[in-house]
Amino acid sequence: MFFHIVLERNMQLHPRHFGRNLRENLVSKLMKDVEGTCSGQHGFVVAITGIENIGKGMIRDGTGFVSFPMKYQCVVFRPFKGEILEAVVTMVNKMGFFAEAGPVQIFVSNHLIPDDMEFQTGDMPNYTTSDGSVKIQKDSEVRLKIIGTRVDATEIFCIGTIKDDFLGVINDPTTA
Amino acid sequence: MARHRDEYDDEMDPDEEEEYEPDQAIDEDDEEEEEEERGGGRQRSGQKRRRSDFIDDVAEEDDDEEEEEDYEDDEPYGGGGASRKRKNKRPSGSQFLDIEAEVDTDEEEEDEEGEDDFIADNAPDVPEDEDGRRMRHRPLMPQEDEQEDFEEIAKSIQARYAKSSHTEYDEDTTDVDQQALLPSVRDPKLWMVKCAIGREREVAVCLMQKYIDKPELQIRSVIALDHLKNYVYVEADKEAHVREACKGLRNIFGQKIMLVPIREMTDVLSVESKAIDLSRDTWVRMKTGTYKGDLAQVADVDNVRQRVTVKLIPRIDLQALANKMDGREVVRTKAFVPPPRLLNIEEARELHILGERKQDRMTGDYYQTINGMMFKDGFLYKAVSIKSISTQNIHPTFDELEKFRKPSENGDGDIASLSTLFSNRKKGHFLKGDAVIVVKGDLKNLKGWVEKVEEETVHIRPEMKELPRTLAINGKELCKYFEPGNHVKVVSGTQEGATGMVVKVEQHVLIILSDVTKEHIRVFADDVVESSEVTSGITRIGAYELHDLVLLDNNSFGVIIRVESEAFQVLKGVPDRPEVALVKLREVKCKIEKSFPVEVKYKHKVSVKDVVRVIDGPCEGKQGPVQHIYRGVLFIFDRHHLEHAGFICVKSHNCALVGGSRASGDRNGNSNSRYDHLRTPPRVPQSPNRFSRGGPPSNYGGRNRGGRGHDGLVGTTVKIRQGAYKGYRGRVVEVKGPNVRVELESQMKLCSSDTSRYGMGSETPMHPSRTPLHPYMTPMRDAGATPIHDGMRTPMRDRAWNPYAPMSPARDNWEEGNPASWGASPQYQPGSPPSRAYEAPTPGSGWANTPGGNYSEAGTPRDSSSGYANAPSPYLPSTPGGQPMTPNSASYLPGTPGGQPMTPGTGGLDMLSPVIGGDSEGPWFLPDILVNVRNSGEETTGVVREVLPDGSCRVAIGSGGNGETIVALPNEMEAVVPKKSDKIKIMGGSLRGATGKLIGVDGTDGIVKVDDTLDVKILDLAILSKLAQS
Repeated sequence: MFFHIVLERNMQLHPRHFGRNLRENLVSKLMKDVEGTCSGQHGFVVAITGIENIGKGMIRDGTGFVSFPMKYQCVVFRPFKGEILEAVVTMVNKMGFFAEAGPVQIFVSNHLIPDDMEFQTGDMPNYTTSDGSVKIQKDSEVRLKIIGTRVDATEIFCIGTIKDDFLGVINDPTTA
Repeated sequence: MARHRDEYDDEMDPDEEEEYEPDQAIDEDDEEEEEEERGGGRQRSGQKRRRSDFIDDVAEEDDDEEEEEDYEDDEPYGGGGASRKRKNKRPSGSQFLDIEAEVDTDEEEEDEEGEDDFIADNAPDVPEDEDGRRMRHRPLMPQEDEQEDFEEIAKSIQARYAKSSHTEYDEDTTDVDQQALLPSVRDPKLWMVKCAIGREREVAVCLMQKYIDKPELQIRSVIALDHLKNYVYVEADKEAHVREACKGLRNIFGQKIMLVPIREMTDVLSVESKAIDLSRDTWVRMKTGTYKGDLAQVADVDNVRQRVTVKLIPRIDLQALANKMDGREVVRTKAFVPPPRLLNIEEARELHILGERKQDRMTGDYYQTINGMMFKDGFLYKAVSIKSISTQNIHPTFDELEKFRKPSENGDGDIASLSTLFSNRKKGHFLKGDAVIVVKGDLKNLKGWVEKVEEETVHIRPEMKELPRTLAINGKELCKYFEPGNHVKVVSGTQEGATGMVVKVEQHVLIILSDVTKEHIRVFADDVVESSEVTSGITRIGAYELHDLVLLDNNSFGVIIRVESEAFQVLKGVPDRPEVALVKLREVKCKIEKSFPVEVKYKHKVSVKDVVRVIDGPCEGKQGPVQHIYRGVLFIFDRHHLEHAGFICVKSHNCALVGGSRASGDRNGNSNSRYDHLRTPPRVPQSPNRFSRGGPPSNYGGRNRGGRGHDGLVGTTVKIRQGAYKGYRGRVVEVKGPNVRVELESQMKLCSSDTSRYGMGSETPMHPSRTPLHPYMTPMRDAGATPIHDGMRTPMRDRAWNPYAPMSPARDNWEEGNPASWGASPQYQPGSPPSRAYEAPTPGSGWANTPGGNYSEAGTPRDSSSGYANAPSPYLPSTPGGQPMTPNSASYLPGTPGGQPMTPGTGGLDMLSPVIGGDSEGPWFLPDILVNVRNSGEETTGVVREVLPDGSCRVAIGSGGNGETIVALPNEMEAVVPKKSDKIKIMGGSLRGATGKLIGVDGTDGIVKVDDTLDVKILDLAILSKLAQS
């Protein structure tokens, strides 16, 4: 799920950036530092949309760096248990398949794939129904439900299922 | 019927005995009788049971006239005995009726207790007799009249007294009453007598018979316990009585008669509280024999014979069996136990082992019988004694279960076997807050949370609101409950320690997706707890850890990608084709620690931790940090690579560096040579200093880890000489560009420090490298160094430690461009080396003779370290080598362009030569080479014009050498690394001084065409230096 929230961060700025463009430097550094990161609480920071407030800079003893408390608005993406997501399959193996929804990697175990879909090996490993009408392979788009998340410092990993109503392949690259 | 027979046999004993009782009664005195009575009470349960069996028989076998006759006769005795005790409660009940009433209730009891009735068969004989003795006259008469309406009366009595007898036994007896019944010292003792195995009952009967025949025997009772082979208990007052009774009996080995301590007497007769609950399909383990420890499944239980039929995976050596059946000699090797394997009938047939097909009478199943062993579906069915199997705490592993499951692939067996498995599986501990589900009983499928655990009972808070707040449920009926998506940790079993997310719940079995391996693991729900931790289970065996690079037996190598219970999975170092081997600990030769930087595409050099991308081969496109480098093979860790724990093995030239290398300035120039002085020492092991001065030896890490590259300094002990932490000693934990992070010894903290601010302990880092090349300097150094350690005994030490002496003067000297202390030092006079050399062996005198001033400044550590203090980067590559060599090169080399350091006539320097020629290849400066001079942070290029005897150089600033001339210490200079097709000068090795042209670079080696000889040589880039254009 996406959220638009306000976060805070203390930015350390090297003295060489002091000057007229200090503010721009700060913002660009903030973007560089923050966008694409992941925190367990908020999820992935997708984009910074605005700066709320830049506090007073404090010179740090000894280093000359100045730290600015910054408040910024950003769009974050955090997957939740029970959430329905659409994702692109990135890898298929006999244990299931991995799919990605933006920065989040989701694993769908073969136990959580409908029983009528069977794994087929080959150059393009895939899960196919017995009548061959539905096929999950790399680059397929699937709709899945997240049943579990694991949040590390730097990534969020999810387990999903397509063994439920209205879940499964939504777009097949081979037919499209 | 067999069972019936048994009972009957047992019943015979008391009957016969009782007949003779009256005679004996006379012998007994009152006191004894009283005690007996107590004993009788304690044994009552057994007694009752026995009698009930007996009555049972009567009821069912009315046609057995003779027997019945006997029974009828005997009844009153026993019955009277028991009833007497109850008299005060039921005074009105007639003797006979009492018996009947009791009998009936006992019947019920018996039904519940099953086969327990054997246990105390013989036990109550004597007490009963004693009781009965007093009563016998009364009940004798009526018995015959009552016989007809036996059953009718029985019923009415049952109705009337069923309750009362229950209450009497179950509730009225308090602990105190029970205590009173315990045997005391005045009671007859129990003696344990050895007898023939399997003849215990016979012995008991014999003794009883003997007692009947010879009433003068003074034993009270004989007890044969079913669960105790080889022994019977005899109750008597004295050992002599027992001996007397046992005399002449065939099956009794009467030599050894043991007294049962009073405390244990009750245990002898106590009935095992809970019979082992053995039912079909229970998992058990074999205790003995070939199958010891093997898992078995109960196929049939024969409670009467105390035998079970178990289903086993046969451990049969078919070949041996075939030999045996052919009548050939079978060599029995005891050590060899055939591995468990399902029997393959076809295979057996090939070996001409022919079995018969038989049908089991009871079940109707067909068994293949070979050599007396029964097989079905490949399993061995074996009848064993209950005692030879263990039934408690059976934890079948998945592997074992899998094997058992094999024949019935249909999956039904799966669930069935697993659920039965849980009937006697020891439960994991429940903890408060665990989510549980009820798996048995009325509340099946009720979910809840554990509130409180009391041994067996678990109090749970049910999920359903309507139910009471907490419910107490037996732990066995509960199972931990997980939902798909829960993150769990395995806390016991083979997968212990692994963590992952629950993917599927199959009753008691969870399928978990491991966090680390991204593989499925099957575990029992009871072995798992919820956890947010992320681990992979065991990560090391012995000295080897997950992700270590190891050398294997056959000289292949690989990275450990998985640690199993006794083996590693190793991704072999075979590029382009992932090869995984399972390797036992002993097959691992050693861990490969070092990894040299290696060149990848576009001549980039990578070392460990650099990020590379695979640009060729099957793994193309993968990207990640290099974890190991060995023999030109890189092991890359790609987080998104899901196989082999994320490791990819590729040839180095199939990779391209992404971003910058961590080892900045990756060519020989900076990173490698910055710490060259730390690497050179190994080449000059003859240095006496090394050993005399080692300092804290372990701390001189850089020396020992020659090839470590940029982390060579890590681990060394240094002393900070400037800034806030001046004077602190500490260990280097990290080197970052010009800074190091130092873990201070005195304070538990880390601090960053400029490299120029520290020295190695009290010795300067340059010593080890410098001295060896200056053998004649060594003693001096020694002398200089020793005082430090000894506590400043020499005057110059004093001077050196003087606040004004060490730091600033030296600096001044240098800044003025007047390194007087160096140049003026007589010891360094080119002309005098020989004499120095001779003086060297006597350090003490040498020192004493020298004019203190120069020495203290030039030679003491203080001084040299002051040099360091000036130098922005004391670890300039050239420092160690260059300085010591200087006098040499200055005086001899210019004249010998061939670069032969062993110029004849150098006298004292001769001893020096081998060092230069052979071992030390480190760069040292020569005239006309281009150097970078670092001077207070700035770096300028210059041309060495002259090398001064002390190792410092006169350098003309500017790449053309046309700027001003300064004097630079070697540690402030760094040879300019030549590029391809540059003119170069060789600074070390046998070709030292020679000029040439660099025609190519290969890794750390340069391909050089030597001017003089036009030979093409491959030399270390570190000893090549760019020649100034002249």
